[in-house]
Amino acid sequence: MKTQRTTLVLSVLSASLLLGMASAHAQAPKSVLILRELDADRYDPHRTTSRGAAEVLFMAGDTLVGIDYDLQTSVPGLAKSWTVSPDGLTYTFSLKEGVNFCSGKKFTAQDVVDSYTRWLAPETKGLDKWRAGQVDSITAPDPLTVVYKLKRPFGDLLRQMSQHSHTIVNMEQVKTLGADFGVKAFDGTGPYCFQSWAPRNEVVLTRHDGYNWGPSIYADATPKVDRVVWKIVPEETTRLTALQTGQADLTRYLPYYAIKDLGQSKTVTLSKAPVYNWTFFVGFKIDKPGMEDKRVRQALNYAVDRKTLTEVITFGNAKAATSMLATSTPTEGSTPFKYDVAKANQLLDEAGWVKRADGFRYKDNVKLSPQLYGISGYWKDILEAVQGDFRKVGVDLRVQLFDATVAWGKLATQEFDMFSMGFGYMSTGEGLNTYFISTSVPTPNRMNWKDPETDRLLAEGGALNPAAADRLYSQVLGKTSDAGVWIPLFHDPLFLAMGSKIKPVKAHGVEGTALYKGLDLQMR
Amino acid sequence: MSALPTSLPVMAPVPAQGLWHRIRSDRLLMMWLVLAIVIVLLALLAPWIAPHDPYATAMRVSRKPPMWMSDEGVTYWLGTDVQGRDMLSRVLYGLRATLMISLLAVFVGSGLGAIMGVLAAYYGKARGPIMRVADILLSFPAILFGLSLSALMGPGLGSLIIALSVSAIPGMIRVSYSAALGVTKLDYMEAGRSIGFSDAYLIARYLLPNCSSMLLIYTTLQLGHTILLASLLSFLGLGPLPPFAELGSMAADGRKFLEVFPHISTIPTLTIFVVVLVINLLGDSLRDAFDPRLRK
Repeated sequence: MKTQRTTLVLSVLSASLLLGMASAHAQAPKSVLILRELDADRYDPHRTTSRGAAEVLFMAGDTLVGIDYDLQTSVPGLAKSWTVSPDGLTYTFSLKEGVNFCSGKKFTAQDVVDSYTRWLAPETKGLDKWRAGQVDSITAPDPLTVVYKLKRPFGDLLRQMSQHSHTIVNMEQVKTLGADFGVKAFDGTGPYCFQSWAPRNEVVLTRHDGYNWGPSIYADATPKVDRVVWKIVPEETTRLTALQTGQADLTRYLPYYAIKDLGQSKTVTLSKAPVYNWTFFVGFKIDKPGMEDKRVRQALNYAVDRKTLTEVITFGNAKAATSMLATSTPTEGSTPFKYDVAKANQLLDEAGWVKRADGFRYKDNVKLSPQLYGISGYWKDILEAVQGDFRKVGVDLRVQLFDATVAWGKLATQEFDMFSMGFGYMSTGEGLNTYFISTSVPTPNRMNWKDPETDRLLAEGGALNPAAADRLYSQVLGKTSDAGVWIPLFHDPLFLAMGSKIKPVKAHGVEGTALYKGLDLQMR
Repeated sequence: MSALPTSLPVMAPVPAQGLWHRIRSDRLLMMWLVLAIVIVLLALLAPWIAPHDPYATAMRVSRKPPMWMSDEGVTYWLGTDVQGRDMLSRVLYGLRATLMISLLAVFVGSGLGAIMGVLAAYYGKARGPIMRVADILLSFPAILFGLSLSALMGPGLGSLIIALSVSAIPGMIRVSYSAALGVTKLDYMEAGRSIGFSDAYLIARYLLPNCSSMLLIYTTLQLGHTILLASLLSFLGLGPLPPFAELGSMAADGRKFLEVFPHISTIPTLTIFVVVLVINLLGDSLRDAFDPRLRK
């Protein structure tokens, strides 16, 4: 009898334990681990242009307008609909109801007004303000309506409104945190809430309960995982191994050599963004000694063997650049973007830089030895290839690479002669506006390109339809290409790799983030 | 009454002839010494014996394996790196750079450490502050110091050499202190003081020479450690800037291709291994040869 009782008690205990375990398993938080190479300098949408910040801010915040996978079609975001006045100057947005910030604060039209006011205010030192157009006024006639008035038409406004700079922030938190906003905390209306940031380590986001106002490009616009962790793993081999062994779930930062094999892998799924413009280039500060001579910049363009560099460094995955941007807009006139060592030497000779016995060029006893600043990581191999090509024409390129957390600060200074950068854009207008308007000096216009004609063409182009604008952009491309302001290297594709625990996700090209809102993240 | 001698016999230093005899009679020590000399010669003669320009890139022959022969019939004995540069030439130049960086750092760091240690032993009042400095330096990891320095000055040769030099100081302070402390208590030091020799003369003429064999052995052992540390800091990106050939940064360049092009990383790594092994074994053999307790 005693034995039976003991058996019964043990059975009940075992069953409870098993049930408990099953229940615990059912309630185990669904956590997705995403690996990436670089961190951001901060997570304040108005004060950073880095891709690392955009990756997180798209998930933690929302914009009035979203963007489809084609990077052309604007879709409803926080705004459910909008109208544009016939003169193209007034945009009226009707906002979705029932939207709230992660803190619980109710989202209203006033938040939109406050966010834009903060971004555009001089004291904020906001970046990429051209994306807002030339704003006349932004008002909130009622809690669910925003009237956005421009001084002159801006044909690309709706598409630009999908970019991370347009993220709506909680101004109460901005005022409370001051300079710590986007560093210690960030309160947005996105599908995932900003939980914590350990710089150079990880950003943790948690599901925004009740979120259902995501863009319609997702079949089900609600978050399906409890936790998203963006982890920094600088080593690409480590990222790859972690993905292949199931320790991590996703990464878009893949070693080029592995892409072909991953395409045939049974444990890893690969998705290529259908539309993606991302260009790697080296830029000149055109007012620095030596670099101020157009012939020198053109010569250094002719000196770089882009085709071989692209083939070797990217294992044939990228496309060698023959134009400044990857878009189809033609470049007016001729460009120096072809490999011609003889031409490079001729131009440097004409510019008065004479080759000496040590193989390097000098003028007035000063060596032609530009200082380049860049971000460490994959850039090292690329820049050593450029450095090797420069040596062949007698130019001693000095390369200084910094960790991403300090690099953005360094790249905003005037300390260097050249810099390396990769950047994404949806259109020619965006690519050119990002880098070439004079108000963007010193960053992202690190070239110090201040040309009233360029400003005029870009402003006029912004007011036109895409086809008409292309004719003006073509002139800007011609002007800047001829000036050799950049050495465009290659146009990169975007691959997103995911492990076997995740249901296939379609890569999105917006700002090179691959995951955009992360609303299709789902465990198998 | 006979006059006091104007100089005192030096007790411990082994006469040059005896030193050479002792080295020659120790086959193992001789072998490590010859190997160390070969390594140093390879490094010194790199500009003359390297088959190619170590900085000349040729992307078309990128990542070729060892013994690869080009269409022009040129053999790349150790293959090529990512930029198509000859690995053998870069290893020779890298060896030269790594040795020079480490030797300079050990010379500066150990020199300062030895002076501080001897002063601490000779002057009782200096002991406390100097030994506390040694304690502070010992408690600060060299890698962390290198990282901090790199953040302040930017990565490069200067910050690497400073970081290595500073890391070599505290160990040498302790070793030279304990070596010198024993000597300061010996009769001839007392005698020297009593006949009015100056402190500087006593330290330079008697104290330092009597500690020299121990300091030499410790420096040799320290060199191996410094080479490893230099390579490590360069591997982490705190060393010389590209395209400078240095063994640690060369090993780092190839690590992402370890699975597909292993030679780019393994060749400089093996070179570091061999150099450090030879120098450490040379240091061990020197210690065995000069330590009277271990001498047969």
